[in-house]
Amino acid sequence: MLELTGITHRYDGCLALVDINLRVNSGEKVVLLGANGSGKSTLLKIIAGLITPNGGLYRYKDEAIDARRLKDRALSRRFRREVALLFQNPDAMLFNPTVYDEIAFGPRQLALADVDARVRHWAGVMGLTDKLQQLPFSLSGGEKQKLALAALLAVGPELLLLDEPVSALDPRTTGWLIDFLAELPITVITTTHNLSLAPELGSRALVLSEEHRLLHDGPIEPFLADADKLRAANLVHSHRHRHGALEHRHDHVHDWD
Amino acid sequence: MKRDRLLLILYLTAVVAATLVHEPSSLAAALVVLLLLAGHDATRLLRRSLRVILVFNLAVSLGYVLLAWLRGISPWETLLLINLRVLLLTLLTFLFISRVNLFRALDFSPTLSWLLALAYSQALGFQRAHAEFRLALASRCLERPRLIDRYRASAAAAAWFMDRALATARESALALRARGFFDA
Repeated sequence: MLELTGITHRYDGCLALVDINLRVNSGEKVVLLGANGSGKSTLLKIIAGLITPNGGLYRYKDEAIDARRLKDRALSRRFRREVALLFQNPDAMLFNPTVYDEIAFGPRQLALADVDARVRHWAGVMGLTDKLQQLPFSLSGGEKQKLALAALLAVGPELLLLDEPVSALDPRTTGWLIDFLAELPITVITTTHNLSLAPELGSRALVLSEEHRLLHDGPIEPFLADADKLRAANLVHSHRHRHGALEHRHDHVHDWD
Repeated sequence: MKRDRLLLILYLTAVVAATLVHEPSSLAAALVVLLLLAGHDATRLLRRSLRVILVFNLAVSLGYVLLAWLRGISPWETLLLINLRVLLLTLLTFLFISRVNLFRALDFSPTLSWLLALAYSQALGFQRAHAEFRLALASRCLERPRLIDRYRASAAAAAWFMDRALATARESALALRARGFFDA
């Protein structure tokens, strides 16, 4: 479905990604892991066609994607419909006057005949049916996340990119989202630094090192069992424990949000 | 260090002077001097200044033209004065920021340095958030966003920024209080 070859990107002289090479096949559920600042969000934005990398080639369905090519109206329209990105801060995505309009925004752009049915379907799935006439601004953090997701799914994307989707969710909503994503029959790439949840979000892990390089690309379980790689990616830490007179040190996963 | 402080004093003096001068020709001359001082950066800074003041000055100028027309007076001299002064002050500020390290200029006062650090970190945070909002709108639009969508997105972003600014200001005030900033 997509292929990145030698992708390198820097912001104002600061490296964000170095020589990233990977392929993602249709229907895969991929988890993108890495410490804060490793370049996870930048990589998602490149895949979403929102940032053109300084170097390398990005191909989506055998078509090169960059800012110049996305000026082609037909390509841009098809690409934006098929590739959806859920931002870490859902507030950035919500700007319509009501929850209904927010979900209907994408289908209306496509002039679809079943806008109302799509809105009601996705509002139902996300448990937002009784809030359709409310201001998106007035919803709770978890509800905003669900609304942003509903707005993306109403267009029928083929590739869903999720940037730290569980970082602001309560445990119940986190559990619901994991179950929901497992059943979603499309390609999903999810970023997280929560190692406990990572195996639930996908079977393949892409891991970015603090040097912004791809440290691991493969099944997630062997990566989680490799203490050296986990330390290299700054995804575990160790500290001293005191049990009375006894003192020892061991690794801990970083499951903070 | 001394250079930055000296330039800060010069800048503040120039700002006060620019507001006291009421001759368009003097303001125009000052503008030329500033552009000469800017050297290679002159065109870039002038373009940036014009872009920043365009909407505000256009709105004020149109309002003033309407008022002058209703009162039957000529608006042109005042319009020239207002626009020249705003352009001069904006260019002066951009030139000052590009040439002076504010942290070094204010290092004589721990309080001012502290406030500058707070303001700077807030500005950086908002700059990043603004880029995020812009990309989010682009990602949701299958075509070039319509004007109404741009307005709505801007309004939603403004509301979010206000909310965040208020929350951050409250947090900062509490943090300052905890560190004894408000103690006599």
